[in-house]
Amino acid sequence: MTEDRVQFDAECRAAGLRLSAADHEALYQMWLEWLPERQRLRDAIPQPEEEPWR
Amino acid sequence: MALSLADLDLRGVSEAIGRGDVNCVAATETYLERIQAHDRMLQSFITVMADQARARAKAADTEIERGRRRGPLHGVPVALKDLIAVAGVRMTAGSRVLDAHVPAHDAFVTRRLGDAGAVILGKLAMHEWAFGRPTTDGPFPTGRNPWDVRRAPAGSSSGSAVAVAAGLCAGALGSDTGGSIRGPASMCGLVGHKPTYGLVSRAGVLPMDWSLDHVGPMTRSVWDSAVMLQAIAGADPDDTTTRHAVVQDYVSALESGARGLRLGLLRRFYVDWPELNAEERAAALAAFDVLRSEGAHVQDVDAPTLDLAMPAWVPFLSEMYEYHAQTLRTRPEAYREALRPRLLMGALVTAQDYLRAQRIRERLRREVDQLLERVDALVFPGQAGPAMKFEDVPTTGVMPASARYTAPWNLLGLPACVVPCGFTRDGLPLSIQIVGRAFDDATVLRIARAYERVTDWHRRRPDPARWRL
Repeated sequence: MTEDRVQFDAECRAAGLRLSAADHEALYQMWLEWLPERQRLRDAIPQPEEEPWR
Repeated sequence: MALSLADLDLRGVSEAIGRGDVNCVAATETYLERIQAHDRMLQSFITVMADQARARAKAADTEIERGRRRGPLHGVPVALKDLIAVAGVRMTAGSRVLDAHVPAHDAFVTRRLGDAGAVILGKLAMHEWAFGRPTTDGPFPTGRNPWDVRRAPAGSSSGSAVAVAAGLCAGALGSDTGGSIRGPASMCGLVGHKPTYGLVSRAGVLPMDWSLDHVGPMTRSVWDSAVMLQAIAGADPDDTTTRHAVVQDYVSALESGARGLRLGLLRRFYVDWPELNAEERAAALAAFDVLRSEGAHVQDVDAPTLDLAMPAWVPFLSEMYEYHAQTLRTRPEAYREALRPRLLMGALVTAQDYLRAQRIRERLRREVDQLLERVDALVFPGQAGPAMKFEDVPTTGVMPASARYTAPWNLLGLPACVVPCGFTRDGLPLSIQIVGRAFDDATVLRIARAYERVTDWHRRRPDPARWRL
């Protein structure tokens, strides 16, 4: 089992998802495609001086 | 006179009624006959409200006979995306989940159109829950593009675009969470206006993502959209996002032209995107030249955080998941197989991702607000390319990369309008998009009209003789 797969299964459990095998696989493929975008979001850390209340 | 209503825009129908060339009942019958004749192929209506429409048209004629005409929408046949409630009429959102759902109350926008005298012809096809894939089969087909019935009209307000473009109604309402008004309007050669967030109430409209959803008009001309927007805009106690709505006069400034207006062209992010269709690029750049020749000052501008707009849009699917979670658990089979993983993606968004997206959204908002202090509006190609064949529409991924042309403007809630700007060599419509300041929808529509009035793309009609496979 790949590292991605382990991570995905853990996230599904954390979200409380109980899915059919087909839905689980389809969601995994979509999640895999989304990972780079999610990482870009997580890497984009706003600086404190950017916050509107500063 | 021999009147071909199907060739007219909403204004033409309205003026024909105003002159007495046609009465409201006859206008309604013309559209009902056209739906009967063509919609088996075009698949744009889920529910045709023939009896209610006839009754409404008759009442509209009676009012005219008594000397009362409510305004430009009086007696004009229009239709609604099937997530906008009409009391007593089934509302499906294009999904088996709701195939027996009959709302008890009109949506705010339905009420407003009724108050303006419009005749509601029916409920229009859409992508399942505004997020499914295009389909031509099953209980809820999503519609065929009247410019080429082998192609999809895009979505999710697919039926709205198909029906207006094909002359099956004079105007329609759609909804837009990531581009669902502007995409189909572009693909079908229409004007599609996503109003400022908070200008038009969503009360009685089924949600996709609450903080990104907008309701707006889809029509053959800018004037038509302005008139429909005028009818539906305004504060509604049942939708608190409208509490600060600023309603302008959307019609009176339409002919003011583009002279002296400053337009910011988002060249790097949109025009230079390598995946932009070459014909779309050429047509859009030519359109901006037309605006220059009309006296607008067009300058290149940039908002670097646009690069993060799509990563920031996806976490809002958690709003959609929140709405569907229980039904997904109890009746997953009621959703189409292709939609389920897209809905479930919302379950995998962490609170931190959602909040990070909100912070990026604010960064982008500040950048764009600063641009809009220097220019009156932003302009760019309306879409990444023309309508696709059904078999070529991507079936994987949460959102297509081409959503960059529309979805960022849902994040910011700014008014955004697409207007036809040409056709491909294959005869498929192309568009430009105009984005303005919050609650300055009037300027956006004015710029759209300034382009429209010196071009004739919006006067072209698809040929019914080609509506066969």
